[in-house]
Amino acid sequence: MQPAKTPRPRRVRTTSRSVRAAERVARTLISVGGIGTIAAVVLILVFLVSVVQPLASATSLEKPSLLPGSPKGEQPLRVGTDEYGLIGWALRSNGQLEYRDLASGAELERVDLTRGGIPPAASSAWAGGEFALAYPDGSLCLGRADFATSFLDHDKAPESLRALAVGEHAPHGRGRAQRIAAEQWRVQEPSTGQRPIVQLPVGADDPIAVVEATRTTKGFRVAWLTQSGRLSVGVLEERENPMTAELEVEISTFAAPAPTGATPPQRLVLTGLGDSLLACWEDGRALRYDLRRLDDIEISEEVDLLPEPSARISALELLIGRGTLVVGGTDGSLTCWFRIRPPLSSTRDGTRLMPVHALVASGPAITSLAASERSRILVSGTQDGELRVHYVPTNEERASVRPFESAAGPVMALALAPKEDAVLAYGRDSVARLALDVGHPDGSARALFTPLWYEDYSGPEHVWQSSSGSDDFEPKLGLVPLVFGTLKATLFSLLFGVPIALLAAIFTSEFLSPAWRTPIKSAIEMMASLPSVVLGFLAALIFAPFVQNWLPSVLALFFCLPLCLLAGAYLWQFLPARTAIRASGMPRLLAVAACLPFAAVMALSTGPLVERICFGGDATGWLNGSVGSGFPGWFWMLLPLSSALAIFAAAHFGGTWLRRRSASWSRRRCAGFDLLRFVALGLGGAALAALFAALLHAGGLDPRGSVVDTYVQRNALVVGFVMGFTVIPIIYTLAEDALSSVPQALRLASLGAGATPWQTAMRIVVPTAGSGLFSAIMVGLGRAVGETMIVLMATGNTPVMEWNVFNGFRTLSANIAVELPEAARDSTHYRTLFLAALTLFAITFVVNTLAEVVRQRFRKRSYQL
Amino acid sequence: MSTATAPSPQAPRSGADASPPRSGAGVRRSGARRATSLFAHGEPLVWLTAGSLVLALAMIAGLLALVVAQGAASFWPQPVVRVELDGGRVLMGEVTASEDYRPEPSVLDALSPEARVRAREALDTSAGSARRRMLRIGNYELTNEHFAWFSDFQQVPGSESLPEWALVIERRTWGRFYGLPKAWRVDGKVETTDPAEIHERLERERELAEERHERILVLERDEIGELNALQERARLAVRKAELEHGARSPQRAAAEAELALVIASSEARFGELQQQIRELRDVNRSRELVLVTADGIEQALEIGNIVRAYPANRIGSVEALGVYLSRWGEFLADEPRESNSEGGVLPAIFGTVVMTLLMSIAVVPFGVLAALYLREYARSGPVISIVRIAVNNLAGVPSIVFGVFGLGFFCYIVGAGIDDLLFAERLPNPTFGKGGLLWSSLTLALLTLPVVIVATEEALAAVPGSMREGSYACGATKWQTIQRIVLPRAMPGIMTGMILAIARGAGEVAPLMLVGAVKLAPELPIDGNFPFLHPERSFMHLGFHIYDLGFQSQNSEAAKPMVYTTTLLLIGLIVALNLAAIFVRARLRRRFLAGAI
Repeated sequence: MQPAKTPRPRRVRTTSRSVRAAERVARTLISVGGIGTIAAVVLILVFLVSVVQPLASATSLEKPSLLPGSPKGEQPLRVGTDEYGLIGWALRSNGQLEYRDLASGAELERVDLTRGGIPPAASSAWAGGEFALAYPDGSLCLGRADFATSFLDHDKAPESLRALAVGEHAPHGRGRAQRIAAEQWRVQEPSTGQRPIVQLPVGADDPIAVVEATRTTKGFRVAWLTQSGRLSVGVLEERENPMTAELEVEISTFAAPAPTGATPPQRLVLTGLGDSLLACWEDGRALRYDLRRLDDIEISEEVDLLPEPSARISALELLIGRGTLVVGGTDGSLTCWFRIRPPLSSTRDGTRLMPVHALVASGPAITSLAASERSRILVSGTQDGELRVHYVPTNEERASVRPFESAAGPVMALALAPKEDAVLAYGRDSVARLALDVGHPDGSARALFTPLWYEDYSGPEHVWQSSSGSDDFEPKLGLVPLVFGTLKATLFSLLFGVPIALLAAIFTSEFLSPAWRTPIKSAIEMMASLPSVVLGFLAALIFAPFVQNWLPSVLALFFCLPLCLLAGAYLWQFLPARTAIRASGMPRLLAVAACLPFAAVMALSTGPLVERICFGGDATGWLNGSVGSGFPGWFWMLLPLSSALAIFAAAHFGGTWLRRRSASWSRRRCAGFDLLRFVALGLGGAALAALFAALLHAGGLDPRGSVVDTYVQRNALVVGFVMGFTVIPIIYTLAEDALSSVPQALRLASLGAGATPWQTAMRIVVPTAGSGLFSAIMVGLGRAVGETMIVLMATGNTPVMEWNVFNGFRTLSANIAVELPEAARDSTHYRTLFLAALTLFAITFVVNTLAEVVRQRFRKRSYQL
Repeated sequence: MSTATAPSPQAPRSGADASPPRSGAGVRRSGARRATSLFAHGEPLVWLTAGSLVLALAMIAGLLALVVAQGAASFWPQPVVRVELDGGRVLMGEVTASEDYRPEPSVLDALSPEARVRAREALDTSAGSARRRMLRIGNYELTNEHFAWFSDFQQVPGSESLPEWALVIERRTWGRFYGLPKAWRVDGKVETTDPAEIHERLERERELAEERHERILVLERDEIGELNALQERARLAVRKAELEHGARSPQRAAAEAELALVIASSEARFGELQQQIRELRDVNRSRELVLVTADGIEQALEIGNIVRAYPANRIGSVEALGVYLSRWGEFLADEPRESNSEGGVLPAIFGTVVMTLLMSIAVVPFGVLAALYLREYARSGPVISIVRIAVNNLAGVPSIVFGVFGLGFFCYIVGAGIDDLLFAERLPNPTFGKGGLLWSSLTLALLTLPVVIVATEEALAAVPGSMREGSYACGATKWQTIQRIVLPRAMPGIMTGMILAIARGAGEVAPLMLVGAVKLAPELPIDGNFPFLHPERSFMHLGFHIYDLGFQSQNSEAAKPMVYTTTLLLIGLIVALNLAAIFVRARLRRRFLAGAI
């Protein structure tokens, strides 16, 4: 090819404008699109973090707005607000119920609750604005400080309201109106509900001194103490008279044993649905009555609510559900008590009232308390005017502020708005309204990751229980059981998958003929693309019942399969060398495959046999702990370990010697000797296992209760097996790639030096590919951590924390799938589930990155080799 | 390198001893000179590795075989067995399961004395185990159960029979019915009592009834559905006018007048349609098949409720094949009934396909753009390799995390935003602010994005540099090179990536549970109402269908055939997609080999 010699005038060629424009457009489009796509990926992380982040935010109390108007300096019985925090009410001991506009401080309404000018002698008030007032003559007034809500449309709204922007509010009628939409106003007006007066059976000479009431499912339960110290409990049942449609109240009275003490108790507290009554003295002594059987009321126990002898009870409050009693003392201590069920309890109902959370140890006296109506938030006020917000389950003080300008005045009464968005604090001469943002106290790091002592539990525990049927339910968002479940799923699936995948990869790359490698690898890769919902369905509806029915045989298979393979190999060694070499391809693989059905048959027959001999003929019964001893369990669990130990010891201490010594033996003699050695080692392993098992058993240890325990149909064993379908192909493919990329020269050099293929594989190829194999396991781990459908379907999804192979668990991923559709947007639960997702994201991302880095280093190294 | 010296010293030494002649004959004759002991071959351990491989292969083969066998067989009609049990109960139905078990003593105590003796004898000869079978006995409205177990020792000896005319009747409601034909009634008058004639009449009438049923469906869904859609649209127009112009605006008044007009005009048509439907129903109701159950109870079934009826013990294999194929036909082309446990999965197939298509439309262009940017435009450096690792690792992030993102971002933020802007009149009912087809597709697109990016990048990298250089040398610009040289060459690789992405997307269920797959979607995402494609609607999905049937179904035993067939369908789809990918990859390789020469 000669270049043209004649110099021709060169045509001036310029790139046409359209081509240049296309070039520019393409460059921009691809860059923008490419960067945008990658940014979208980053967005996932950013978004997850942004949803989770508010969990860490603190509770905030805004600067108080002080309301004019003097509340006369005395302590109200109880104070409260309406749902929107616009109107406050205060019930005073003189029998007056005042409603006050919280914006202007103006009094809106005053309800006279005296009986002909006689103020109540005793009172009780509880959450939701409900109160019970007892008069000296024994009459009881049950009522509720409530609000009537009405809506106005455009036609009815007066001019003054039309000027409001949406969200603003103004006085209207006896209450306050708020514009909630373009054409809609909501009016809140005080409306006090009063039930018909009930006459309590009290003598005229023995007036009521203390009263306590609570609502039950059917009506009310009331307890009262007369001045002479007689204690009675009454059940008020309301029913509608079918003739007059009037509410009729029926009262039945039961006498309780008189409280023992020098003076009559100063307070009564009904807890729960009124199944327990506390009679408290100022100094903290309290008697607890068991009210479950009203015709036989008994004193269950005596407790000291205030250990400090000089301290007096200055505030008592019940948390939502009335299960937890909060006791504030003049020594500044603030303690939460609830009943727990200790294993050995002398009380009749088997429970004991215990101090569980010490919110504050000491300080200025606690003067007022207010509990939330929707969560376990508690607000406390002190003698020196400090206001604190506590979250009880985590024992945390979330915020504190001094609402009054005159710092020395006490907080005399407190109200927490029903929506937890405002706190009303009554001081000596003013009322402060504070805007509250509770944040997510039940989603704090302490709530999520440390064991908490929840109501009705006998000690601090990690619990995940996000929802329940009742309103006063305490959400328990301990993530630890879910993390544990994830680890358990990962561990068991890797225990099953990793050995199979790695060994299969070694065989494929080192012993399988190249012609077979591709189809076999493709077949196993096909396994990875099986939808996990299919695997989950098969696991739950086919494998789980199968394993349950054939448990002994399935467990026997774990022993029979390796045994059959090894036995097959020892027999194979008897083949003459030439035949063995000629048959080392497909025929050998077929022989191996033939071991599988053989092992299955063997497991089928030996399983029930072993069950009969070792486990009393009832494996699940043995697991329950109802039959048999721990010895056989230890024996079978230790058998693989001790056999491995025996084989390793034999190889380590006699292997080299034997190889050198046997170099002159005939093949047949070698094979025979090897078979004998195998049998001897097997027996030795069994003897070793029996020895260890006997030692452990003699030491009083039982395997039941740890890794094996009560059998549940959908369990970790089944999940481990089925997860194998997703884990094995991934690890296998990557491991095989790593092994295959070990340079052929190394292999050839080793073989050339006289090493056998097995020695080459184990001492040259596997160590060289070690980091590649590690990264393969890592990627498999990443896959197992996030697997959702299989664990969702094949585990019972119970968030329990035990290592039992035969029990289920609940993983982070399955938990998200189950609960996220039901979680209210932006609730703590919702954010916690996002945190679970973020955790999964982080774990897999880190694990995969680690694997990727290791793999790249491995690749670089194998190029250098 | 250090690893080269790693083998322990004795291996080379024994090899060195052995290096002299190694003919096969020599090996056999003079074992004494062989140096490599049999022990060095580690044969048992090799067998363990081989065993692992075989086990892995057996797992996949066994699983596929199980699914294929169960899925393919479950529609085949089974004979109807009638047995009389000790105690007088008579069962008739199809045998669906059979197993050996050890009966509790209490089971025997419940038997009559002579049956107890027989049962004891039978148990003694079989070492305490007995066979029990599960019959699908149907007739739910009479028996309150779909299935019944019975043990061999419970039946009256010799009572098991295959009644010749026993009919298996699949119904639209109440599940299957098993009975012997007694009479054919039209308008309450018995027309015939001969079983053969009843069957013949049934066959003939059933087709007519089927047509009437179809007609009712068309009237209900299309015509009445259209009227409802019209009314709904007018109602929304009123709401929209109110929101935009105020409650007393003339626009709202106009919209209200329009609504009144629509309602008035549709009410008349509505009554007309209802009348038509009633007439068709009456005809379907007037023809009745009277059957006698195994316990001798007579039951009349109206023809409109019967989907399929066949005398299971009379039909030969050709008719059985007909029933089998007709069941497959129904499965593939019909809608589910009986809370998904019977009927077809057409909406699920449809949902899966439409969702997967939308997903590929979203993922392929962006994946290819990202890959082009990474491979051709971005300056390679540490940043790009970090990005590449990150994209790679995204493929390993659990799918449920994408679902969480989809729900939180697409549904609750983007969707709610769209609702506020465009569909304010429908609030508080969300339109886009909930799970739906569009959000599912986008979520899965994100999920499969790494697959496409990685595959495309590999394909781009595999285009030889010489070709690019050749193109540049001819004066082509970068884009021209990419467009005319690189992309065509890389196309098979991109296709492979796309198919793999589709295969992954089609089988993924966990994220869909959060972003839009439902148990039963009342409306398909594509229908005859404007704008025809409704990306905001929730949809049915094959994978979710399996989950739902296997786990949420009240009658999970009856749903099993459906689960298996659905599983078979889904696996078939995914295996086909994977095979396509493998095929495309193989072709790509061949082309490269040809191109490289």
